[in-house]
Amino acid sequence: MNSDILISVQKVSKCFNRGRPNEIWPVREASLYVKKGEVVVLKGPSGSGKTTLLGLIGCMSRPTSGRIILKGQDVAKLPERFLTEIRRKTFGFIFQQFNLIKGISVRENILLPLYPTGMSFGQMSERVEELMETLSLSHRAGFPVEILSGGEQQRVAIARALINNPDILMADEPTAHLDSKLSMNLLETLGLLKSRGMTIVIATHDPLVFETEMVDRVYEVRDGRVRER
Amino acid sequence: MIKHLKILEFALSSLLRRKLKNLAIVSVFTTVTMVIASILFLTHSFKKEALLILQGSPELIVQRIQAGRHALIPLSYVDAIKGLPGVGDVRPRYWGYYYDPLTGANFTVIAYPEGIRKTEIIEGSLPGANEHGYCLIGSGVADARFLQIGDELFLQDIKGRVLSLKVRGIFKKSSQILTNDLVIISRPDFDRLFGFPEGHATDLTVQVYNPTEIQNIAGKVKKLLPDTRPITRSEILRTYDSLFNWRGGMLLALFASSVLAFVILAWDKATGLSAEERQEIGILKAIGWETSDVLTLKFWEGASISLISFLTGIILAYIHVFYFSAVLFEPALKGWSVLFPDFRLRPYVDLYQCFVLFMVTVVPYTASTIIPSWKAAITDPDSVMRG
Amino acid sequence: MIFHPGIIALFLGSAVVVLMLLYISLLSVRVLRYWDIRSSSELQLSLERKTYLTSTIMNYILGYQIVSALLFIYTVDSLHTEFVGAMCATGVLNANPVGWYVLYLKVLNLLLSGLWIGINILDQRSPEYPLTRLKSALVLILLPLIAAEGYLEVRYFLGLDPAVITSCCGSMFSAQGKGLASSLTAIPVKKAEAGFALVWTLFFISGTLSLKYKVSSFKYVFSIISVLAFVVSLASVVSFISLYFYELPTHHCPFDILQADFNYVGYPLYISLFLCTITSMLTGIYEALRRKVERKDVVDRLQRKTTLSGLVFGLLFLIISLWPMVFSSFTLQGY
Ligand SMILES: Nc1ncnc2c1ncn2[C@@H]1O[C@H](COP(=O)(O)OP(=O)(O)OP(=O)(O)O)[C@@H](O)[C@H]1O
Ligand SMILES: [Mg+2]
Repeated sequence: MNSDILISVQKVSKCFNRGRPNEIWPVREASLYVKKGEVVVLKGPSGSGKTTLLGLIGCMSRPTSGRIILKGQDVAKLPERFLTEIRRKTFGFIFQQFNLIKGISVRENILLPLYPTGMSFGQMSERVEELMETLSLSHRAGFPVEILSGGEQQRVAIARALINNPDILMADEPTAHLDSKLSMNLLETLGLLKSRGMTIVIATHDPLVFETEMVDRVYEVRDGRVRER
Repeated sequence: MIKHLKILEFALSSLLRRKLKNLAIVSVFTTVTMVIASILFLTHSFKKEALLILQGSPELIVQRIQAGRHALIPLSYVDAIKGLPGVGDVRPRYWGYYYDPLTGANFTVIAYPEGIRKTEIIEGSLPGANEHGYCLIGSGVADARFLQIGDELFLQDIKGRVLSLKVRGIFKKSSQILTNDLVIISRPDFDRLFGFPEGHATDLTVQVYNPTEIQNIAGKVKKLLPDTRPITRSEILRTYDSLFNWRGGMLLALFASSVLAFVILAWDKATGLSAEERQEIGILKAIGWETSDVLTLKFWEGASISLISFLTGIILAYIHVFYFSAVLFEPALKGWSVLFPDFRLRPYVDLYQCFVLFMVTVVPYTASTIIPSWKAAITDPDSVMRG
Repeated sequence: MIFHPGIIALFLGSAVVVLMLLYISLLSVRVLRYWDIRSSSELQLSLERKTYLTSTIMNYILGYQIVSALLFIYTVDSLHTEFVGAMCATGVLNANPVGWYVLYLKVLNLLLSGLWIGINILDQRSPEYPLTRLKSALVLILLPLIAAEGYLEVRYFLGLDPAVITSCCGSMFSAQGKGLASSLTAIPVKKAEAGFALVWTLFFISGTLSLKYKVSSFKYVFSIISVLAFVVSLASVVSFISLYFYELPTHHCPFDILQADFNYVGYPLYISLFLCTITSMLTGIYEALRRKVERKDVVDRLQRKTTLSGLVFGLLFLIISLWPMVFSSFTLQGY
């Protein structure tokens, strides 16, 4: 197989509430791959299983069956502790909701993922200042996040996803809460990141996103099944 | 290390973000600690004071018992006891209680023992061996009768005549527990005041050469003079000790019920994770915190709450007991006020009491938070991914 | 006797800990029956999560064991005024001999909880959870031991009768008496000192060797010697170390050094000895578990840490215990 394949998902299924009446399979035998530096889009209607699939790829949860090869290592069976470690080193997440913690400052929100890593204070602050600079958040550094505008909150979420220097950025419906102008800004930012060599996986049903030229490949998700388009 | 610092910092800021809720728990925790600490400090100080008093008392005291009551002891017993092997000096003591109709108080009157020396606890001058017509009084007596050095203390003797005594010295307030109600006078005055029968004393103090022989000698005295009651110092010490332990323990046991209520409250607080907190922990898990990191966070939260409440509780109890003489316990302490006059307790606090306190407050609280914290910590990281 | 505040506190603590231990023992039984690391069933997932609970509770139990051991000694010590003949903890323990078993069990349980935590650390650093079953089995061993400790503690305190006239350290730790304590005391100081010097020399040699060379047997020897050093050191405290602290040629009590009169020197002394023993024993235990663990580098790194800490704490213990011998004017020459 090609050596610049970063993630390869092989016949992965995920089941919730197994054996109970409300058993559900949001992802069924999905197979896909992501190469280094690519922008890949998972596209599908609401409830089709995009978020669940994104979570599986991003080591948020373990699949019920199938294999997920990340940089040559099968991570499907790893216990949570090690899954978390891999996720912390490899992935940055932008969630469907901003999922910022209210009541603490922009800077602290961005730094949160680094707390358990034991990184030195100096390194931390260097990193966060640089990121706030590139995402033009510096003038908001000490503000509590809840008083920021939607676009600013989105940028805080991006900064938080990037703080650990991830190889892969995972974005779940990143434009869902933005108007078209802010969406364009976001796409610009993502384009910038791509140009710096970042691998990006986006789950969305927003045509604005999957029709931009930076997208390398689109997978269509329907009832948990994945098809390349 | 840095990891713990950062997580601790975040824990503190989390606590501050939910001020009201955490303030409630801290104040209940503090109150519980304060009450228990007050009980412990109080009993411990009483015990220490009592021990201090008794430390100076003789190793063996011999009283005579008549019809089951304490009676005057004939001086002929002195030689009888002196004859026992291992016994050193035997001395008669002359003391009694004087009811003062003027103030309604009871004074403890002691005939001037020759052994008394000028100490820093007394103000004024000590009388010579053969003087009489003087007295040394405790500050309680001085206050009750509005006396100063040089004034006259009037007492009524057994025949109804007035006995006037010049105040030569007053004991300082710092020795109040020992000397509050004390009146020290000379032997002749003492005999006149109480009309003491010739050849009798109140009781005898016995010096024993070898401390391990005390029990033995007490037994021999009892055998030799069956109408006596020998009391060893260690007996008194032990009675006091168990009395205070028992009192303290009783109060503590009673109070355990309120601890229980507190634990239930803590449980409720910790289990009833609000939707907002649940969401927060979900976010932390999703952005790369591991279960054990969240457990660490919860540990620091609990530790901060415990530490703050524990220390505040101890400090408040200290102030309450040693500066305000345990006013809140007034009703419960009625039994003790007989033993101890109104005075400010000297602070005796040691590590041991803090250990006990830790065990009955922090340990149950911590135990009650373990499972709820764990429940919070195992939140699925992908729980916040879905709207 | 039950209404002593310290005793109430001890009973309360024991009750809480036994309950918690009972709870994780139930979990451990489930782990022993259903644990299957290859399965991704929900049962397995929930068991994996429960292991976090088990570790958390065990951490707290270790902390509790430390506090309760200190509180026990303290409480027993403070009771000495109630017994004729008792001058410190020794006399009160003698007043109802069950007390000695409580003390021994506390020491044992403290060591075992420490070892459990050590094993847990290795387990948590290995992706395949290789030691989970072992840990669960150990919890099931610990439960009866800690429960027995609590039970004997209750028996001890309820059985204390102030009418009993006991013998204290003066007679118990005297060369003339009978029993273990006396025979410890009766060992000539010279011989005891020689034995002490010998084990600790061996301890440091084997420690250095196991740091330097990757030879299994060095590590086992180091661990075994550390246990030996623990026992010999406790005996030496009774035999001669305490004498230098008290500056009395006949006072052998192992508890008095915990008191304020001796600057609480007993605490750092015993704590460093315990830490030294636990960490050094872990070196050997890790060696024995090595074949179960995939990541040998993790084992190596942990072993290095435990051996080093064992040596450091051992050194600390030696410094504290030898300090007065070297720097005080008191000598045992001629005793
Ligand atoms: N933890 C869970 N327990 C039960 N059902 C779940 C769970 N997670 C997801 N599902 C179900 O799986 C299906 C797919 O959900 P998912 O969130 O992946 O869809 P989605 O494509 O991201 O939808 P949307 O575009 O609305 O975000 C849904 O029907 C959802 O209810
Ligand atoms: Mg979704």
